[in-house]
Amino acid sequence: MIIVTGASKGLGRAICERLISKKIDVFGVARNCENISFPSMQCDVSSYEQVQSVAKKLKKENKKISGLINAAGIDIMNLAVITPQDVSQKIIHTNLLGTIYCCQQFGVLMLRNKTGSIINFSSIAVSLGIKGESIYAASKAGVEGFTKAFSREMADFNINVNCIAPGPINTELLKGISQDQKNKIISQQIIQKQFTPDHVSDLVEILLDSKSNSLSGQVLHVGGV
Amino acid sequence: MQDQTKLVSEIYSIIQNYLEDKSVNIKSDTPLVGSSNIDSMKLVELCLSLEEKATEYEFQFDWTSSSAMSKSRGMFRTVGSLTDEFLRQMKLQK
Repeated sequence: MIIVTGASKGLGRAICERLISKKIDVFGVARNCENISFPSMQCDVSSYEQVQSVAKKLKKENKKISGLINAAGIDIMNLAVITPQDVSQKIIHTNLLGTIYCCQQFGVLMLRNKTGSIINFSSIAVSLGIKGESIYAASKAGVEGFTKAFSREMADFNINVNCIAPGPINTELLKGISQDQKNKIISQQIIQKQFTPDHVSDLVEILLDSKSNSLSGQVLHVGGV
Repeated sequence: MQDQTKLVSEIYSIIQNYLEDKSVNIKSDTPLVGSSNIDSMKLVELCLSLEEKATEYEFQFDWTSSSAMSKSRGMFRTVGSLTDEFLRQMKLQK
């Protein structure tokens, strides 16, 4: 079974649908599970206790977890100097601490099997240092650093940990960004085209496949930077 | 009391299996974390084995929760402290 956070919408939802279409068991984690038709549980990943509750439930049910995809994330574009404290905290708590909590709690469930793949999500905002994305970029840079160090800790247990860093993908996360702004970012990618949730799902499939067992601690940039 | 002595002996036996030097005669004050007796990977494997032992005794051994981790230095410091935490969690849940 693969755990996917942020499963109710955006990239997380697209990934769930792709995996389900490939007959892979998916367990969704989201703040709101009302529109999720596959096994799922309500959970705000920024809450250590809520993540722990999900992990306890899966452990109790003896679920064999072979993968974890940390797609839950939030972004509020704003200059750092005018971003309220609670918004900064929310971004860091959800994007960085949420990823760490899920890796800690669900990673433990994977240790016993001595196989598996964990995929975290960063962003092109880290490599490009996009204006108006300072706090978001900081949270995602943290995810990249965590991924690299955590991959070494999990390597002893044959679990690979990698990171996907997409450019601007049309999901609800970027609904407040104009196409012009997106095009400016895309023009800085090596492959100057806008990629889709399908392309990201392709990478997820590759990282979950045993053929990518030689990759760990890597950041894969969608479109290249 | 006899049951607890048996369980402590079982826990010691599990711990012994994960020590670098298996010939060490372990006692309550035998150091774990911070000593050369056990590396971090073996410590995690030891915890997974203790989880299994706890299942056998019909409770859940939680070595990752905030409450357990807040005592982590103490919990993983010695054979005795780890055994005490295991027994404490068993009593709490029974």
